[in-house]
Amino acid sequence: MKRKLLSAILCSAMVAGALTGCGGSTDDGAAQAPAAEPAAEEAEAPAAEPAEEAETPAAATDEAVTLTVLAGQSTTDAGIEDMIDAALAEKYPNITLEWECTGWDGEFHPKMQQYMQSGLPDIIIGKAQDVNTYASQGLLGEIDATYLDRGLDAARENVTFDGKTYGLVYNALYQGVYYNKTMFAENGWSVPTTQAELQAIVDDCNAKGIVPFASHMVDTWSIGNVTMQFMMNDVFNTTPDWGDKFRAGEVSFADDKAAQTAYSYNKLIFDNTYPETFSTEQTDCDARMVLGEAAMKVSGSWSIQNFLDIDENFDFGIFPFPNQTGDSKLIFEPNIAIMTSAETEHQDAVNCVLDVLSGDKDLAVEILDFTKTASMLKDVAPTFPNPSQADIDEYASKGMIVDVTLGNNQLVWGGFQEENAADIAAYLQGDISFEDCLAASDARVGSSSAQ
Amino acid sequence: MKKKTMQDKMNRQYFLLILPGMVIFTIGVILPLLLAFRYSVTSWDGMSVEKEFVGISNYINLWKDANFRQAWWFTIKFTISNTIVQNVFALLFAVALDSGIKGQKIYRTILFIPCLVSAVIVGFVWLKLYSNVLPELNEIFGTNINFLLFGDGKTVLTGLVIANNWQWIGYWMLIYLAGLQSVPSDLYEAAKVDGANAVQRFFNVTIPMLAPAITICVVGITTGSLKVYDLLVSSTGGGPGRASTSVIQMIYSTAISGRQYGYGSAMSVTLVFILLLVAMIQVKGLKSKEVQS
Repeated sequence: MKRKLLSAILCSAMVAGALTGCGGSTDDGAAQAPAAEPAAEEAEAPAAEPAEEAETPAAATDEAVTLTVLAGQSTTDAGIEDMIDAALAEKYPNITLEWECTGWDGEFHPKMQQYMQSGLPDIIIGKAQDVNTYASQGLLGEIDATYLDRGLDAARENVTFDGKTYGLVYNALYQGVYYNKTMFAENGWSVPTTQAELQAIVDDCNAKGIVPFASHMVDTWSIGNVTMQFMMNDVFNTTPDWGDKFRAGEVSFADDKAAQTAYSYNKLIFDNTYPETFSTEQTDCDARMVLGEAAMKVSGSWSIQNFLDIDENFDFGIFPFPNQTGDSKLIFEPNIAIMTSAETEHQDAVNCVLDVLSGDKDLAVEILDFTKTASMLKDVAPTFPNPSQADIDEYASKGMIVDVTLGNNQLVWGGFQEENAADIAAYLQGDISFEDCLAASDARVGSSSAQ
Repeated sequence: MKKKTMQDKMNRQYFLLILPGMVIFTIGVILPLLLAFRYSVTSWDGMSVEKEFVGISNYINLWKDANFRQAWWFTIKFTISNTIVQNVFALLFAVALDSGIKGQKIYRTILFIPCLVSAVIVGFVWLKLYSNVLPELNEIFGTNINFLLFGDGKTVLTGLVIANNWQWIGYWMLIYLAGLQSVPSDLYEAAKVDGANAVQRFFNVTIPMLAPAITICVVGITTGSLKVYDLLVSSTGGGPGRASTSVIQMIYSTAISGRQYGYGSAMSVTLVFILLLVAMIQVKGLKSKEVQS
C-alpha cells in the first residue's frame, strides 16, 4: 500500500513538473518571463548612456535567446565570463550566454576545428591573430561599425581584411623585459637599450650573485613567446614581410643572421637564469622575481597579475629587450578579440552582446582591472595601480611601440612558433644543435601560415 | 532438423545481443578508423574544403621525420619500463597481501586509491612534487638529491615512470590478487609433498596459474603505455624540448594544433596497426603459456 502511495506521489510530482516546466531549459524558463520585463530593465538602465541606449539592437530585447560562446582564454582571463554574464543580465536579461571556456594555448584551435565541422558557436573569443586564421576561411561575420567605433582605431588594423573587420579587439598586453626597479636603483643600473648595456647588467648580476633573468621554460609557450618578441625587434623591424619572404624562399632561418640572433637570445637567458628553469612554473617564477631573487623577466602583462597578487607594493618597470641595432620597441599585443559566426541565427542577440562589451564602461574597467591589461576601447582606462605604466606611456609617446600581430599573422603560433619553441628547448637542453634547430624551423615552412 | 532450427534461433539471439555493441563499435571505432585512413592519403589541413590526394607520401614522410622517430623511441622506452616495473611490483604487492599479513584491506585500499585519480591530476601532483615539495626535503635534511626529474631530458623518463607506476600499480595488483586467490590450495600442498620450497612453488605453481592474469596485465599495461597522453600534458607537456613527447601527443599537435590533419592521420593509422600487432603477439605468446586449473 505504501509502495503504491509512493508511486502515486512520484507520478503526480513528475506530471506537475512537466506541466509547470520545472525541468525545462534556460530558454524555456526565460520565455515564461513576463514580456514587459525587458522593457522595465531597459528603463532602469543608467541615464548617462543615452547614445548606447539609442543604438540598442531592438529585435533581441523581447525574445529569450541562448547564445553559445567559445572562449579561448589567456591565463589572466579565467573569470571574466562571470562579469560579462552579470552585465548582460542587467541590460539584456533575455539573453543567456552558454560558455565554453578553454585555454587559448592548447584547446582553443582544436575546438574551433571541431566546430568547423558542426557549426561555429555564435560568439568566439580568441586573440587578434585568430581573426586572420578564421576570417580567411569565410567563417567569421563582419562586426558592425556601431561597436567597432567604440574601440581605438589602432585595434582594427590587424583584424581587418579586404576592408571588412571581423574582430572587436577588447584589450591589449604589453611585452618586454620586466625589471625590479628597486634592485636596479640599488645597483646603479639604468635601463639598457643595447645588447652591450644588457650584457653589462647581466655580468654585474652574476658577479653579485643575483640571477639576471627569471624564467619558466617548463612552459614551452614562454619560449615561443619571447622568441617572437626577439623576432619582432631583430627581424620584423627591418623586414616587415619576413614571414612572406620566408614562404617565398627568399629568406630562411639557416641563412638569416637576424633570425639566428633572435633565436640565440634564448641561450643568453638560459645561461643566466635559474638552473631549474625547466622545472619552474610561471607562478613560482614570478614569485621569485617579486621576492628579489631575479632582476629581470622577459614576459608580458600576464605576469602583472601574479606580481601584484604576491606583493601589491612590488615596484617594477618594463623595457623592450635590446636588439642588435639599439632601436627596440616595446611589444604590444591585442589580446581578447571578439569574433562572431558568419552563420549565426541570432545576429540581433549577438549585437546585444557586442553592445554590452563595447559600451559598458564599468564592465570594461572591471575586466581590465582583473586581467591587469590595457584598454582597446575609447575613453576607458583601467584603474589598477600599474608601476610599469609610466614606462609604457613613455615608449608610447616616443612611438616606440610595435604590434606583434604583424609577426603572429605571418608566422602562426599553432604548428609553427609552438613547434619551433620545442626545438629551441631541445637545443637549450643539448639534445640538438643550433643548426638542427634552425633547419627544423625551415622545414616547417609549410605550417607557417594560416592560409 | 529440429536441432538446426534451435541452433538458428540461438544464433539469431546471439546476433541480436551483439548488434547494439556492434553498431556502437562500428560508429565509434571502425568508421573513424576508415576515415583516418582516407585522410591519411590527403594533405588536408582540417579546415579547408579541399582534401588533395597525395597517395602514400605522408607515410613516406613519416620515415624521414626525426621528431616522429623520437616520439616513438620515447613511447617504446616508456612502455617497456612500465610493463616491467608495474607487473613486477603489482605481483609482489599481490603476493605480499595474499600472504595473510595484518591490515591487508588497508594496504589494498591505499595502493588502489591513486588509480581513482585522473591522470591529468596525477601529472600536476608529480610536477609539484618534483619541483617544489621534494626539493624542500633537501633543505630540511641538508641533502643534495636531484628531485627535478621533469626538468632534464635525461631524467624525465624516470620521473614519468615513477608517476605512472604510482598511479597504476594498485590497479594491476588487484587483478593479480584475484588470480592468486583463485589458485587451488591443493596444488601448493602437492608441491610441498613433492619437496618444493617457497621459491620453487612460486615459479612452478603460482606463475603458471597466474598466466591468464599476466596476459591481461601485460597487454593492458603495454597498450595503455603506448597510448599515454594525459599524464604528459599536465606534467611535462612533452618536454623539456621533445624529450617526453609521446606518439599520441605528436599526433594531436600535428593534426590539430599544426593543422596537418592528413599527416597526423597517417601517424594515427600507423599507431593503430602497431598497437594491434603488439597486442596480437602478446596475447598469442602469453596464451600459449596459460594452464587450466
